Amino acid sequence: MEILNSRAALLSNYEVLQLLKELEADHIARTRTAQRLKKEEEDAAAATGLPPPPIPDPLLAISENLRTIEVEAIQYLTADYQPTRVQTAQGVERLTKNLAPFGLTKAEKLQVVNLIPVEPVELYVIVEELEDRLRNCMEEVLNIVRSSIAPLTPSSSSALALLPLTAQPPLEIVEETPSGGKNDGVGIEDDLDVEDDE
Amino acid sequence: MIPLLEFLFASFTLPFLAALINEINKKYANRVFHNLGLCICVFDIAEAGEGKVRYGDGFLWYTVVFRLTVFRPFPSEVILAKVKSSDEDGIQLSVGFFEDMWIPLVYLPQPCAFDPNERAYFWLPSSEATSTHYELLDSPVAERLYIDQGEIVRVRVEKDEFWEDEPGPPKATDGVLISGDARGVPYKVTCSIGEQGLGPTTWWKDAGTRMDEG
Repeated sequence: MEILNSRAALLSNYEVLQLLKELEADHIARTRTAQRLKKEEEDAAAATGLPPPPIPDPLLAISENLRTIEVEAIQYLTADYQPTRVQTAQGVERLTKNLAPFGLTKAEKLQVVNLIPVEPVELYVIVEELEDRLRNCMEEVLNIVRSSIAPLTPSSSSALALLPLTAQPPLEIVEETPSGGKNDGVGIEDDLDVEDDE
Repeated sequence: MIPLLEFLFASFTLPFLAALINEINKKYANRVFHNLGLCICVFDIAEAGEGKVRYGDGFLWYTVVFRLTVFRPFPSEVILAKVKSSDEDGIQLSVGFFEDMWIPLVYLPQPCAFDPNERAYFWLPSSEATSTHYELLDSPVAERLYIDQGEIVRVRVEKDEFWEDEPGPPKATDGVLISGDARGVPYKVTCSIGEQGLGPTTWWKDAGTRMDEG
């Protein structure tokens, strides 16, 4: 075995999530087919009175390791604290295009896409020597980032902007549940609303 | 993502490409590859040679060039992680599928101290950096900013290390015998939260406005 290129490209969290979701959908489809086939075989066997012939199980071919990392990584990438839930493919594309004139490095753009900084302090962490390099464009960058995430329904944003405190508790509860990735997580969207409106 | 050369046998019941991807995934998914990172799954297959039957087995062997999706945050990258546990040596982090991430004491915000009752570190932004450990522990609890277990922290990756377990008898370095069962972690990521903007995300939620005022 030989490694030709140890870092062919950098993938953002959003792209990895899409890849894993495809894998997951594929797996679910295959499980369904396998179950259907098995049932058909059993029905046929019951009709003829013969024991069902052994059929190779396509699921056996899938490694445990792959399933483990697939499920765990999807959980991490869709967690309530990740911005992937409000991102769209078009949004990410538009974001990277709009960031082009600011002279950010590839790695910095990747982190902007992964972390969606909506506050100045979050941008400071990502971009080195931010003040020298971006000067007065910081607000502009933040606006581009904000506009790249999925538009939220106007009714919820206007209602919750008035009640930032009531939006807070569900968010904290959701963060502490280990199975948080599966919740519908209204909390985080509400929270993003609040930040958007500031 | 990494193209590699690899031999493997096909499962005859599956379509060709699916069988190849399946076998590669079986071999690398969720494993740490030395100096590469934690392999997640196949990204795509660039080329696959012709299947050959070798002497001695009934398998078809292929030469394949493919790209893998690998978890390996680069040094200076900022990522989100969850606090798994804290002890006197530092904080252990987790991203769900990977848990060998640590924040050592030097990369914690200063002044900082470990509270043995809470089993958690706290940061005292109001006190002076020269305060001793005991002075910090005498501080009023209300002023402390705790880094609790399960909290989401924004961390910067400082460095990553790989460790290959070598077989064989224990070796002596500089005349000191290294105990044989001191197993290393195959892939270890060291992170820091010592800068402004890093640490629990809740610390910085409204920091923008606060910083502007200050």
